[in-house]
Amino acid sequence: MKTRLPDHGPVEAPRFWRTLEERVETPEARQAAHDEFLPGAVPAYDDVHGLPPQSGVSRRDFLGLVSAAAALAATVGCDRKGQGTVVPYTKRPVEVTPGVANYYASAFQEGRRVYPVLVKTREGRPIHLTGNDEHPGVRGKTSPRAMADVLRLYDPDRLRAPKAEGRTIGWAGAEARLQGALKEAKATGKPVLLLSGALASPSRKALLADLKAALPTLEHLAYEPAAGDAAEEAARASYGQSVAIQPRLAKAKVILSLGADFLNGEDPETLAAWGAQRRLKSAKEPINRLWVLEGPLTLTGTNADHRYPVAPSRLAAVAFALARELAAKGLSLPAGADLSAVSGGAPADVPAQAWANLVKDLQHAGRNAVVLCGAQMPAEAHQAAHLLNALLGSEAVALSPAEPLATTRDLEAAVQGMAAGRYAAAIFWDVNPAFTYARAAAWKDAVAKVPLRAWIGLMEDETAAQCQLVLPENHWLESWGDYTTPGAAVLQQPTVGTLYDTRQGEDVLLGLLKALGSAPAADYHTYLRARWEKAVLQGGTFEQALHDGLVKAEAKTVAPAFKGASVAAAAGRATRRTEGLELVLFPGFATLDGRHANNSWLQETPDPISKMTWDNPVAVSVQDAQTLGIQEGDFVTLTLEGTTLRLPAVIQPGQAMGVLALALGYGRTTGGVAKGVGANAYPFLGLDPATANVRPGARLAKAGGRKELSRTQSHHRMEGRDIVRSLTMDEFLHHPQGHHHKPELVSLYEEQKFPDHKWGMVIDLAACVGCSACVVACQSENNVPVVGAEQVAKGREMHWIRIDRYYEGELENPKVVHQPMLCQHCDSAPCENVCPVNATNHSPDGLNQMAYNRCVGTRYCANNCPYKVRRFNFLEYTAYKTEPETLAYNPEVTVRPRGVMEKCSFCVQRINDVKIRAKGEGRSILDGEVTTACMAGCPSDAIVFGDLKDPKSRIAQLVTATRAYRVLEEVGAKPAITYLADLKNPVAGGHHAN
Amino acid sequence: MADANRTPLLDRAAALLAGPFLLGRQALSLAFLTDRETPEAPALALQRIPVTPPEHAIKRRG
Repeated sequence: MKTRLPDHGPVEAPRFWRTLEERVETPEARQAAHDEFLPGAVPAYDDVHGLPPQSGVSRRDFLGLVSAAAALAATVGCDRKGQGTVVPYTKRPVEVTPGVANYYASAFQEGRRVYPVLVKTREGRPIHLTGNDEHPGVRGKTSPRAMADVLRLYDPDRLRAPKAEGRTIGWAGAEARLQGALKEAKATGKPVLLLSGALASPSRKALLADLKAALPTLEHLAYEPAAGDAAEEAARASYGQSVAIQPRLAKAKVILSLGADFLNGEDPETLAAWGAQRRLKSAKEPINRLWVLEGPLTLTGTNADHRYPVAPSRLAAVAFALARELAAKGLSLPAGADLSAVSGGAPADVPAQAWANLVKDLQHAGRNAVVLCGAQMPAEAHQAAHLLNALLGSEAVALSPAEPLATTRDLEAAVQGMAAGRYAAAIFWDVNPAFTYARAAAWKDAVAKVPLRAWIGLMEDETAAQCQLVLPENHWLESWGDYTTPGAAVLQQPTVGTLYDTRQGEDVLLGLLKALGSAPAADYHTYLRARWEKAVLQGGTFEQALHDGLVKAEAKTVAPAFKGASVAAAAGRATRRTEGLELVLFPGFATLDGRHANNSWLQETPDPISKMTWDNPVAVSVQDAQTLGIQEGDFVTLTLEGTTLRLPAVIQPGQAMGVLALALGYGRTTGGVAKGVGANAYPFLGLDPATANVRPGARLAKAGGRKELSRTQSHHRMEGRDIVRSLTMDEFLHHPQGHHHKPELVSLYEEQKFPDHKWGMVIDLAACVGCSACVVACQSENNVPVVGAEQVAKGREMHWIRIDRYYEGELENPKVVHQPMLCQHCDSAPCENVCPVNATNHSPDGLNQMAYNRCVGTRYCANNCPYKVRRFNFLEYTAYKTEPETLAYNPEVTVRPRGVMEKCSFCVQRINDVKIRAKGEGRSILDGEVTTACMAGCPSDAIVFGDLKDPKSRIAQLVTATRAYRVLEEVGAKPAITYLADLKNPVAGGHHAN
Repeated sequence: MADANRTPLLDRAAALLAGPFLLGRQALSLAFLTDRETPEAPALALQRIPVTPPEHAIKRRG
């Protein structure tokens, strides 16, 4: 399907649209909205049999097929293949009761961020993650990538034993070799390089200090390619040290984002605070206001009340101008801050009226305003944000000292050291610089000059291929650890014994310490426990801390002081302008820096903005696409400083003109899933930390040819009906139902009776940010299969819940609403009436349920579903899977074979689990006791599930809210899901941010 | 309709002839292979991955 942008004149468009085709109403888009399946999703009979078009099926062919099918069915029916044997445990593990789930508190680290989690295990297998509800910050929520990381535990690509020069050897041999090299280094005084991820663990930090004491020539660098060098560089300039920045949105009335994507699902604490501010029952409740200035459209930008596309290279100039304006209005500049280089007045990037409103809003909010800057934005923009927060005296952001991270400059020094033969040995622990370092060829040459190279990690990657010693590490679900988080010291404990002959990295380091003559503990568990008993527990027991997963304690830190003297230089640099197209390199939603690229759940989760799966096309603004004559999926060549990449392009509404956006972490050359998916953008990364991720001077040209994009945004359309609603605060106050009239429903059928429970769901579109945590949670809980890029392109993705992303308004800067869409569990379900075998039917408590073994795959139900939420297994996605992949399955949920229809079940297994438990305890089910996976996974609490028959339940109150509506109510299907209309709080026609 | 049904007749006839021909060629090539050795038996792989409980861990509930 080709997309043509409007050539001339305004286009009469529907209010909400999802794709450019819909926006300009191409005939193909109209046809696609009308059709139930995408072209190619359902194979035509003629295509399969090679018959000429319009030949139909002859009587002879039909009889032949029936006979063959009968013969085949008889043959298959006699087959005894696949019958398993159920055997009891010969020695039952004490902790395991078959059929009963165990829950362990643990923690997952990703960069500097730590996620306290609760791990569900069945028969000893970790199968599902949620946030740790005891933690005061995350309160039971976590991130999509943390939830998906359980799949990495069972990745078939995991290393199972140590290797030396490509051959499997035992641990004794591998350790002896590494220890020998380090002993020699100690004797000769030659440096040893240790490159690891961020140090968020105090015990790991202590262990490294011990190692450093035993081996004084050890040089350690903490390297996080996705953290953003510019943020680190700016922190060092503004505060003289590395800082961790934690927004406190509960205190924020006005938020200004300078390309900061703080609502992208990575930070559950911030999302919870955002959701709490947006879930309004009445227009009189306080609500915050979000201003966003950014280049590429981010999830935060889609949730903005006011958003203006601004090139990232201009953000610093705009922010310093804002500081000058606020200072001129009486806010006092920090001591030593000099803004004389900044020109006064409104910058051209923001309309004058909007500028005046922004200044007024920030001034009015004062210490309840906060300015946040995106990690990838230039260092000067960060410094301007630090200045603005100091100027406002913001209480809505917490700054604390952090462990420093290596920037590209530090890495460059290490590369030069390696090239000069300075190091005796190098250890790479959980990092992949051979892939993430911009100058890969230089890295390869340099690293080859280190006499001994050892790698510690989970799956062999590009760096492992350059090392003689490859040491397999435990997955974090098999490991011990601890972390410092705001409000609590968090423990990480193993939730399963090691699956393979692996060790955790810390135990390898302890082995090194022992060889170097220092033996602080026999293993890391003992080391960690001793540290905790000495420094953390303070009267409590280690067992209790493991049970809770944490000890509540506020870390005593002194907020770093802002250095006003740093402002003048930064403001001077901010006025520079860039020529040509500006390339913004950002961590991939699915891949981050590439570490998650082998995770098929994440690869298949649509990007929240572009809805791309399995690829990282370059995003081009609407205006640039018009100028360059680029259409969706066209191959383009992207050139920057001698590096050229051929990759497909997507046209991204809302992206600033002159800005290109490209995700990092794709284009891996190792990994069964990751290899060959997308293009590697790291060669474009700059070596100047201040502007590493924002690169001027990029050139884009059409390369010829097109790629069929595996993009879900045009799938499962609902013919432009009234599906999604968005209100301003003014509309909410005066016309909460807008022009929509509640239809009078007349039915010939008798009302259904629900004797005990009537399960229902409420989804608040104002709180939903579109982060896709619910999609991953559902995939993990319900054994939703992965189908691959080719099948996604045909519209055959299997997710039971999808996030529809709707645009509203102009192509250049549309407003956006996200709407989670799943089976609506209609009381008069159109799918139930048409099933010829009664495979889909209604339960007495209001669930639209599926009997998979009864389904014969007619697809009539999908054809008749107005919400397009039924998913058909066109191919066999699961039967050929073997261990370890099958270990990730939830045994409570049937794994569906080919030819069967499936869809959301409202997590019926969870409902029944609670029912059985309540019955056993002789009580009724409590409100909030049943949580669906999507609800439990939603960090902003946008999803509420409960019993509509309980008048005191939270859901019973929410369904009567003034913003409440049901999608396609006029159809008369009586859906069990109620949506609350989205809310925006713009200055004009809105509400004061109070 | 009749025309449409007759059209693939040639295709079907071709398939009838080509099928046995290709199969026969394959059979001959197998029978007259000279230096074909018996493939090595694959190494005995562990059929199941042992799942063991974690040591020293304390569960929250279950």
